[in-house]
Amino acid sequence: MKKPCLTLLAILCLSALVFAHGDLAHILGTVVEVTDHSVSVKTADGSVKVVAIDAETHFLKGKAPAAVKDVVVGSRVVIHAHQNGDKYHAAEIKIGVATPAQHP
Amino acid sequence: MNSRMSRELKFGLVVLLLAGAIFLVSRLFGSYPGARGAPSYMEVVLARTLREWAVPRSARNAHNPFTSSPELLKESARHFADHCASCHGNDGNGATEMGRNFFPRVPDMRADATQQLSDGELYYIIHNGVRWTGMPAWGDPDHDMDSWKLVLFIRHLPQLTSDELRDMGRFNPRSVADQQEEKEEEDFLNGGPAPANSKTTPHSEPTK
Repeated sequence: MKKPCLTLLAILCLSALVFAHGDLAHILGTVVEVTDHSVSVKTADGSVKVVAIDAETHFLKGKAPAAVKDVVVGSRVVIHAHQNGDKYHAAEIKIGVATPAQHP
Repeated sequence: MNSRMSRELKFGLVVLLLAGAIFLVSRLFGSYPGARGAPSYMEVVLARTLREWAVPRSARNAHNPFTSSPELLKESARHFADHCASCHGNDGNGATEMGRNFFPRVPDMRADATQQLSDGELYYIIHNGVRWTGMPAWGDPDHDMDSWKLVLFIRHLPQLTSDELRDMGRFNPRSVADQQEEKEEEDFLNGGPAPANSKTTPHSEPTK
């Protein structure tokens, strides 16, 4: 009984972390690649979401304004993005201040 | 009978006639006169004409006691975000969940139909509301300077910047669920566990 409960808890904690807030999708995860035009994020369900960025994308680290250079591979991010089908365009990227935990 | 009563009587009679006509037409065609469809052209013209009649000339010609400044625009933008944006949207386009479904629809206040109203008319509409539309009356009946400041902001809507929109976003009303979601995201960014209550279907938000 204990094992199924723990499994369920793990699924709940690590389930798909792309969800909507208002008209914007929220993508939570760890950055796996950054280019001039996109940020790729590995979410807790293991999928990688590629989110387009441009001059309109707003970056925040903590409460302070940030820039794309502050988004580095391995950092945790919360991205609020416009979604069109399976394409995402970031309106805002919040960058984590803590070092992400390593997955086994 | 004074002119105000006369104006209200005319207004009420026309609205009653209009409501009766809509009821009869809906009965004839067997459709429920709900809020799903958009108002017809005639309804829009009639409603705007009635609203125009309802604003006294003295109110229409009233001058805004405030002059626009960055400080006043910031103050009124935040006030708008807190009190008005749920229906009108932070950018005033009216394309919010409620705005899209009111009858009549919430107007795009950046468009001519709103921007061509006088400052006095805008103030009068904010201060007194508009009957049968969902637009409430705001402010203290005898002292309402905030609504004059909102007029400044409405004038500024067509030039609203993305930085101003972002600032307004911090002042939009938030449900307990939204606050919880924000906290969970902050915790995640600070190294905490990922939120458990994920949603996969987008839902509309009253603000933009």
